[in-house]
Amino acid sequence: MTMSPRLRKFVLTVHITSTVGWLGAVAGFFALAIAALFSHDVQLVRGTYLAMEVTGWYVLVPLCLASIVTGLVMSLGTSWGLFRHYWVLVKFLITIASALILFMYTRTLSYLGDIAADMTLSIDELRNPSPLLHSGLALLALLVTTTLSVYKPHGMTRYGWRKQHEPRGVSQP
Amino acid sequence: MADLPPYPASDDDTEMETGRESPTSTPRWVKVLGLIAIILVLLFITLHLTFGGLKDHRPQSNASERGRQQP
Repeated sequence: MTMSPRLRKFVLTVHITSTVGWLGAVAGFFALAIAALFSHDVQLVRGTYLAMEVTGWYVLVPLCLASIVTGLVMSLGTSWGLFRHYWVLVKFLITIASALILFMYTRTLSYLGDIAADMTLSIDELRNPSPLLHSGLALLALLVTTTLSVYKPHGMTRYGWRKQHEPRGVSQP
Repeated sequence: MADLPPYPASDDDTEMETGRESPTSTPRWVKVLGLIAIILVLLFITLHLTFGGLKDHRPQSNASERGRQQP
């Protein structure tokens, strides 16, 4: 299946926007996590956890889903394929792993939002290194996928090599 | 005035490299990235366990007496 150039450009635009937007949102989340862990202002710490919950549900998750869907469409709808080139495959695996961790982490984000609203907790009870750890690794993972997308390092998988060298017409009945 | 450098074609992102590798060779960058990924996963698990366990992100004090349940 190959997309028309017009459709391909549209999907590519959405893919770049969602993926880079996801990276930017994680960078913002990372800044909030630093503030939550090191600030001495209890109101600021409460505010950061509330902001993390909103950002997680309404920015990170939608951008992550858009990135996965458009990435799949781009790879399967062009001659790159999903399993033919190592850079596409590695990028896909990193994205899926990041998405799974994010989806599991939404429960913790909801919990952090709940405890931030509990005015009986002290600042030391509110502090949690978990968002910093998760967002730091997510930032690193998304920087790797962005780099792979730009540089497209060489390397074809066995499947891709077979596909490239099989006689034309075999895969297109 | 010097000519502007030619821009790549707008559909360059679909360009494929061909014939640069044998079917059995895994590129070095894949191996290096895999090794870094394993180290980071181990570091992630270690830090997770260090900071209160894989499941419990609650503040350690008073959590039980408040009867909170982490989702």
